[in-house]
Amino acid sequence: MNDEQRMLADMAGDLFTNLGPDAAMKDHWSAIEEVALTGLLLPEDKGGFGGSWGDALIAFRLAGYHALGLPVVEAVVAAALTQRPEGRGTIASRTEGTVSGVTFTGRISGACLASGADYIVAPCPEGGSMVLSVADAKVEAHENLAGEARDGLVCTGTSVERIEADVFAFGALARVAQIAGALDAALEKAVNYANERQQFGRPLAKFQAVQQNLATFACEAAAANCAAMGAAQAMSRGEAPFEIAAAKLRANRAVGIGTALAHQVHGAIGFTEEYPLHPLTRRLWAWRSEFGNDSVWAEKLGQTIVARGAENFWADLTALTG
Amino acid sequence: MQTFVTEPLDWPATAPELRNQVRTLVAEHGNADPVARANSWAKPDPEFSRKLGAAGLIGMIWPKEFGGHERSPLERYVVLEELLAAGAPVGAHWIADRQTGSLLLRYGSEEEKRRWVPGMARGEVYACIGLSEPNSGSDLASVRTSARRDGDDWIVSGQKVWTTNAHNAHVMIALVRSEAGSERNQGLSQFVIPMDAPGLTVNPIIDLAGGHDFNEVFLEDVRLPSTALLGTEGNGWKQVTAELSLERSGPERYLSSMALLVELIRFAGDKDSESLRALVARLAAETWTLRLMSASVASKIARGEDPALEATIVKDLGNSFEQAMPELVQAAVDIDPAGPEALGLVLGHLLQTSPSFSLRGGTREILKGIIARGLGLR
Ligand SMILES: Cc1cc2nc3c(=O)[nH]c(=O)nc-3n(C[C@H](O)[C@H](O)[C@H](O)COP(=O)(O)OP(=O)(O)OC[C@H]3O[C@@H](n4cnc5c(N)ncnc54)[C@H](O)[C@@H]3O)c2cc1C
Repeated sequence: MNDEQRMLADMAGDLFTNLGPDAAMKDHWSAIEEVALTGLLLPEDKGGFGGSWGDALIAFRLAGYHALGLPVVEAVVAAALTQRPEGRGTIASRTEGTVSGVTFTGRISGACLASGADYIVAPCPEGGSMVLSVADAKVEAHENLAGEARDGLVCTGTSVERIEADVFAFGALARVAQIAGALDAALEKAVNYANERQQFGRPLAKFQAVQQNLATFACEAAAANCAAMGAAQAMSRGEAPFEIAAAKLRANRAVGIGTALAHQVHGAIGFTEEYPLHPLTRRLWAWRSEFGNDSVWAEKLGQTIVARGAENFWADLTALTG
Repeated sequence: MQTFVTEPLDWPATAPELRNQVRTLVAEHGNADPVARANSWAKPDPEFSRKLGAAGLIGMIWPKEFGGHERSPLERYVVLEELLAAGAPVGAHWIADRQTGSLLLRYGSEEEKRRWVPGMARGEVYACIGLSEPNSGSDLASVRTSARRDGDDWIVSGQKVWTTNAHNAHVMIALVRSEAGSERNQGLSQFVIPMDAPGLTVNPIIDLAGGHDFNEVFLEDVRLPSTALLGTEGNGWKQVTAELSLERSGPERYLSSMALLVELIRFAGDKDSESLRALVARLAAETWTLRLMSASVASKIARGEDPALEATIVKDLGNSFEQAMPELVQAAVDIDPAGPEALGLVLGHLLQTSPSFSLRGGTREILKGIIARGLGLR
């Protein structure tokens, strides 16, 4: 991390610690606006931070780490894709319907807190993405497993602006970063718990079976974090279809192993509503589906690799980095 | 908590050129046998080692004074990953290049350095690792092979086992108890032992697949000059810990089975199968991630840090990945693992050899113990 990134990490870390999973739009969104965080990826002449995807990774990872209850990540991505400094944007993962000219008729789903948003970026059925004003659609409230708003939007001849960037891929990149953070947070909780909780007259941490489980967990959290870093770094090229697919696949795998071990180490207390493990693990389970589950990304990536052929695999892999 | 702090990677500007150099060299030498490709760093081929040496691709980071090339650690990393990905037969010199040469340069007497290192850099002098003994495996601090003084000389007696490459090697660095009556990690020293020393014998141990990679080494009153003591007397445990870092941190811990993934991609190209494509994608995603992790360890080493914990994580993940892969491929592809098709042959080979991946260089349980310590659990 450079100095600016350390400042960003400190600022976002403090802010997200205070806000946490229970932050509410009406009470707390102003705290995000005050620091203009949604302009993280906008150039400075548009009032943004002029941040890189490496900077975004830091903020998104911390949002995951603190299971932040506000759609900051989505607002940052929406602003970056549209280059709009004004208003709150958000993103959606799925679209069914047809675009004719500059209007869309159909249904958008997986919209990350559409109500109250000014505009939304959704996948366009004909490729790329489309931007529309939320006021022009009918919002149907829906939540993901973790209680995060994932609304539906019904559109009838709604006017849209088309953009080239693929919001689905950007959404996946954001989820990878959040998964990386949430896994590290769940690991930390599990390690602390193992050091505190006593059974058979000593801390759980002294039992080799528990140690080995937590070591396995640490490896998975490490893999998810490296995948997130690799994908974010690749974005400096402008797009990173291989890396985003690979990173989402790897992070999704880490979710399964990590959440299972986090709960195993915690015993029954971790299975309660009161204990703050589920804001992390339920999000992780939800995020594994969002912006592409394994089958979606595996088909995309598998097709590319198989079409390029065995002899190109390693050369292509190394060409991604140098 | 952030278990594995990753920084953006800076690959050396010379990387593309080095990649081409290695790819051309491997192609010219010929490397057609897929099973040999799946056995890369266990397969000795002195002719290939000499070619690599002549091309300046062994001892890349060693001083020129000792035949090295004073390149950067990341340049060396690029060469290593290219060799492994191609499945090139690097077994003869692998250990010398990876750890023995560096250890000699760091701790060795002037005499021993001059005697061994330049030949290692030429790809002509090979090494083996004398750690394990019949009663000392994971519990390495219990080694019993002993060294006692006799005038200026040392007399070494005991037995080493599972010694990979001992039958090709010219020299072994052994961990030995140099203080009679000492216990555990006290009183241990490392010695440089020529494999043709009188009193040293090597017996082959054949592995379950019929291969001959490791051996037992008997040491019966082997007389060594005082210069054969490596580093400081009694400092063996500390030195060996540093040696194990070199041994564990390289890309071979995830790149031993690239041949299987490549053959799977070839096989999937002829079939229109979504499940095969999904498997290819999963394995490729894992490979991509492990490559970043492994390179990140290399770049930390290049900056002079000691990423022992990260290296352990990469080895453990790499071993698990390489052990899962044959089983996944066997489940997905209806093919005879006894051959004759290339995919089957590679699969059959790795089904049999991959159990050793989480034993050699430290077992899974020992590695996870190290990670647990890093997490503050012990
Ligand atoms: C292919 C191959 C090449 C090798 N090459 C070399 C070489 O060149 N030089 C060399 O010196 N050695 C070499 N080895 C030996 C290797 O380092 C040892 O096999 C390894 O250290 C384990 O020792 P062991 O086989 O005696 O098993 P043991 O130590 O007896 O262990 C058996 C099992 O018990 C587990 N175990 C042991 N202690 C604990 C504990 N405290 N807690 C939990 N579980 C435990 C182990 O993890 C393992 O699963 C090689 C091994 C292989 C398979």
